[in-house]
Amino acid sequence: MVPALILFGVFVIYPIFYIFAASLYEWDGINQAVYVGLQNYIEMLTDDRAFRVAIRNSLYWTVLTIFPQMILGFVLASLLTSGIPFQNAFRVIFFMPAIISPVVLGIIWQRIYAPFGGLLADLAWETGARFLMQPYLSDPKIAIFSAIAVNVWQWTGFSMLMYVAGLNSLPREVLSAAEVDGAGSLQRTRYIVLPMLRHVHQTLILLGVIGTLQTFALVYMLTKGGPNHATEMLPTYIFQKAFTLQGMGYASALAVALLAIALSASIFQVRVLGSRFTIGG
Amino acid sequence: MPARTAKALGFIFVSLLALLWLVPILMMLVVSLMPPDQRAPRFGGLLIRGVSIQNYVTVFLDAPILQHFINSLAITIPSVALVVLISSLAAFALARLAFFARDLWFYLLIMTLMLPIPTLVVPIFQINKALGLLDSYLGLILPYTALGVPFAIVIFRSFFAGFLRELEEAAILDGCTPFGIYWRIMMPVSGPAVAVVIIWQFMTSWNEFILALVTMNSVETKPLTLVPLVYSGQFMMRPGPMFAILTLITLPVIVVYYLMQRFMVSGLTAGAVRG
Repeated sequence: MVPALILFGVFVIYPIFYIFAASLYEWDGINQAVYVGLQNYIEMLTDDRAFRVAIRNSLYWTVLTIFPQMILGFVLASLLTSGIPFQNAFRVIFFMPAIISPVVLGIIWQRIYAPFGGLLADLAWETGARFLMQPYLSDPKIAIFSAIAVNVWQWTGFSMLMYVAGLNSLPREVLSAAEVDGAGSLQRTRYIVLPMLRHVHQTLILLGVIGTLQTFALVYMLTKGGPNHATEMLPTYIFQKAFTLQGMGYASALAVALLAIALSASIFQVRVLGSRFTIGG
Repeated sequence: MPARTAKALGFIFVSLLALLWLVPILMMLVVSLMPPDQRAPRFGGLLIRGVSIQNYVTVFLDAPILQHFINSLAITIPSVALVVLISSLAAFALARLAFFARDLWFYLLIMTLMLPIPTLVVPIFQINKALGLLDSYLGLILPYTALGVPFAIVIFRSFFAGFLRELEEAAILDGCTPFGIYWRIMMPVSGPAVAVVIIWQFMTSWNEFILALVTMNSVETKPLTLVPLVYSGQFMMRPGPMFAILTLITLPVIVVYYLMQRFMVSGLTAGAVRG
């Protein structure tokens, strides 16, 4: 227990105090820091377009990854526990992206989205399906959605696996009793299976929110937060401010905002929705 | 709709979707095997004229890929070992021993699970700088361990909590110390929990990016995840070697996952469903 607490103190507790303190300074990380009070926060909240875009993108990201992922994951899990051929092989295929580094996936998807010689662009040329040819990553209006699509693709398999685990542990008797009573398979899903998997839904939402707030590598590799901050997420913005623009103080204020959002979202879910960390805790 | 038709439709749906899931991964492999004289790969590189391992040779000769591979291992393996050891001991203490403010500590740990790593990137960078750990393996091993411990504790704790008390009481009567209970009774049967923790910690440490990006500045100490950035200029116009690097980054995680995957569903079930 003691080594756990020491490591935890140095690399988790202390840093939290650190960002609160550092957020009150203007500091380039090298020269003497200048105390500016709440100036960083005032600027962040009133005069920072990139911050607002990052918040908006986080909302898109949360809603548009969590729900498609859960629905698709549940459908796949149901099909892949129904005894169709090769179901284990299918499970492995769908789960595979979840264990691959987002750095790797970012580069692969760049080539899929690329306007010249990219997979989608070439498909569009060859098949005449011109709608496949889009400026996926260069148009500020659609770039964030292109990134979200990759994220959904990456994590659907994880939702599927969680639902498979949940489905396997449902008591058989209840389901067969309902079948005897004449409940069709849709009715069984709607009134028995889905409510009984409540913990899995809650865990996936909780992990999805945290995952969204952590998103860095994928966006960094795909677009670096551009074009013109269009795909900025809070982590990419913190990184840019701290390590590209040498604004350690301002980055700390952003980190405090991210921390506040993460904690209030989690507390809301645990308290109000009754979520529990079950697998992800 | 008869059951067999439904099953057939389900199979077709799953197969089509699986294709969508396989294509990007297949693309990585195919482009990495592209002959170097082929200039412009078509369909993002899915169609190539022949197979060659020249790109892998190029990568090993032009880029110290072996060094980066060793760096990744030197960071990942100690952090996995430390996380398993520290968190199983801590979970045992949390599940079985009484000590000051036990529940408070547990809640603090749980809170960390909700903490986005990017909030900590500035302070961890400054701490590593102050401790002289920039460009050293320890500069990543220690934070990865600290950040991995909470999740592992939750897994171990839920596993330990399901144990038979009688067994332990019998062991205590036979003169077994608390450490003896941990080491001789609990750990030997905690295989699935250990497997989940190993997979998880291996994946997160191997793939971690933002902390590695700010901690490792010199090329010699960079782990594999940073390699695509280092050589993106050099291999910009040559997707072959770049995709060979991507394949080499991915292979170890797939191997570890493959070795451990039979535990994964049962381990997840133990944690997810008991709730």
